Amino acid sequence: MAALLAVVLCGLTGFVLVCLAWPQPAPLRSNLALKTSLCGGCGLGIFSLVFFFSPALSLSRLMLADAAVFGVLLVVLIWSRTRRSAEDSVADERVAVDGPGGRIRPALGTAFALALIASAYASAVRAVAHPHGDGWDAFAIWDLHARFLFRGGPHWKDGFSPLIPWSHPDYPLLLPAAIAHFWRYLGSESWIVPSVIALIFAFSTVGLLFSGLSILRGQNQAFLGGTVLLATPFFVEQGTSQYADVPLSFFFLATIVLLCIHDSGMRSPGLLALAGVTAGFAAWTKNEGLLFLGAIVLARVVILARHEGWIFCGRQTLPMLLAALPVLLVIAYFKVRVAPAGDLFSSPASLWHKLLDPARYWATFQWYAKELLRFGHWWLIPGTVLLAGYYFIVGKEVGSYEDGIRISVLALGLTLAGYFAVYLITPYDIHWHLRSSLNRLFLQVWPSAIFLFFLVVRTPERTLAA
Amino acid sequence: MQGSPIEPGQTARAPAGLQHQGRITITVALTLMLCLLSSLRVVIEAPRPRQLEAMSRAVAQHSDQRFAELRRALPGRGVVGYVGEAAESGVADYYLAQYALAPLVVERSQDHPLVIGNFPASQPASPPATVKGLVLVKDFGNGVLLLAKEDNK
Repeated sequence: MAALLAVVLCGLTGFVLVCLAWPQPAPLRSNLALKTSLCGGCGLGIFSLVFFFSPALSLSRLMLADAAVFGVLLVVLIWSRTRRSAEDSVADERVAVDGPGGRIRPALGTAFALALIASAYASAVRAVAHPHGDGWDAFAIWDLHARFLFRGGPHWKDGFSPLIPWSHPDYPLLLPAAIAHFWRYLGSESWIVPSVIALIFAFSTVGLLFSGLSILRGQNQAFLGGTVLLATPFFVEQGTSQYADVPLSFFFLATIVLLCIHDSGMRSPGLLALAGVTAGFAAWTKNEGLLFLGAIVLARVVILARHEGWIFCGRQTLPMLLAALPVLLVIAYFKVRVAPAGDLFSSPASLWHKLLDPARYWATFQWYAKELLRFGHWWLIPGTVLLAGYYFIVGKEVGSYEDGIRISVLALGLTLAGYFAVYLITPYDIHWHLRSSLNRLFLQVWPSAIFLFFLVVRTPERTLAA
Repeated sequence: MQGSPIEPGQTARAPAGLQHQGRITITVALTLMLCLLSSLRVVIEAPRPRQLEAMSRAVAQHSDQRFAELRRALPGRGVVGYVGEAAESGVADYYLAQYALAPLVVERSQDHPLVIGNFPASQPASPPATVKGLVLVKDFGNGVLLLAKEDNK
């Protein structure tokens, strides 16, 4: 009963937050697929923040805190719906019914359904086979931190000790705190909680990709994009690993989808604010999220200032920054008061030496090139090569949101460049570090890359009608 | 035939539009096929149902179940030392021990009043020769030892 209450509260809190940001006066049930895809991750983000500030609370007080947060958001939503003036609404999902687009839709839909069934089956089986995650990072970092939060009471900070090597005590706490929050409701450390949270993030990412493409490019393109993501074996494997890379990819994608919808003409400060919240949650999930947040803000400033001027740029960036601010303050508090210094800058004396070593650049570049060609564990042809061939034959077509696409591509490029720089200065053996983590870093941007790809490439119905 | 553009003996060529449609249809079909092949890989490489029970117990057997009794004998919080197998598997053993014993902090060091000995492979009856200055407090079986510094015991 308590578990059900937690699930309902978490989901509803996320849904109310998303609806609060949605352009008015759209009915609550509009764009339901997109809102539903967003609400799980947003709800878990809010739940993690509540627990972070109250890990020692009893269950009844924690329930009160959760109910209070939900209540406040609901009151603000009701108030805002009675006060806000009409804004451009977000278009409904587009379905091509007539012409060649309508004729190929059954084939695309069938392929999507088959890929969804395959990945749902594999995910369920993997979740049962690996209740404590698949790989060291699950029990050495994420679930370990959740245990310290749940078991530690007022002494939970003991777990963020530099005495436990390689446990990354500087890693933010969205996942561990969300897991511990549900454990508190259950009164035990059920393996089902981290497994279900992992599945929610994985399938919400698919739902987000599908619904975002549906709105901006039509259902055929959405089926294609969704099929490509579901058919990426590495995405399915990592989706149940209880690592933080797929949750991070969810928040990257959410930010980019919201900004692209906003920049497609449905200019609403609410969408910008929600993008700021999801970018903030990315930073609260993993340190790479901080890099992404910086990259997306910088990309937005650079492109909008150049094309539209500084005043417009400020109006289009400020809501995002203000909405991300509360989460950033939490992260700052965590970094200053709880986490020890990260390992990346543990030997500053050697930083310059590493940055000036061409062998490190060459090693990192080689790994980037290799990973680009073999990413995803696809059969026969890597997904990246497949998409390159698809683009070559089908061609490009960009809608009214070129700025949105340019900003997102630049942001992802800056993020990957940031990862490159991290490998250059890593205190670990560079080859070991690249081998053990580069594919997961690529996974963080893969759903967003697929989204942007299918935004740019021509739709099947347009290509066939040409 | 009157006005036919096709000379006798020649075959008719498909208009460019039909060729283009054909190429696009093949491209989309091939893309979907290759995606579904990879989806097939996802299914084939998923664990078999008969393997599920053994796989699902693997981590718990090496962590929570292995250290359940030891955990009851240790204080609720603080820092304890840890010593284990020298082989590479010893690293995983350490993290599984830490996972089981949280919120106790387990440091890979012998420089603590209490030290956990974890030897799942060698299962010594007493502290191995590599362990200096520690005496056995209790043997929990299965290679799980509770050790203490000689001067602290």
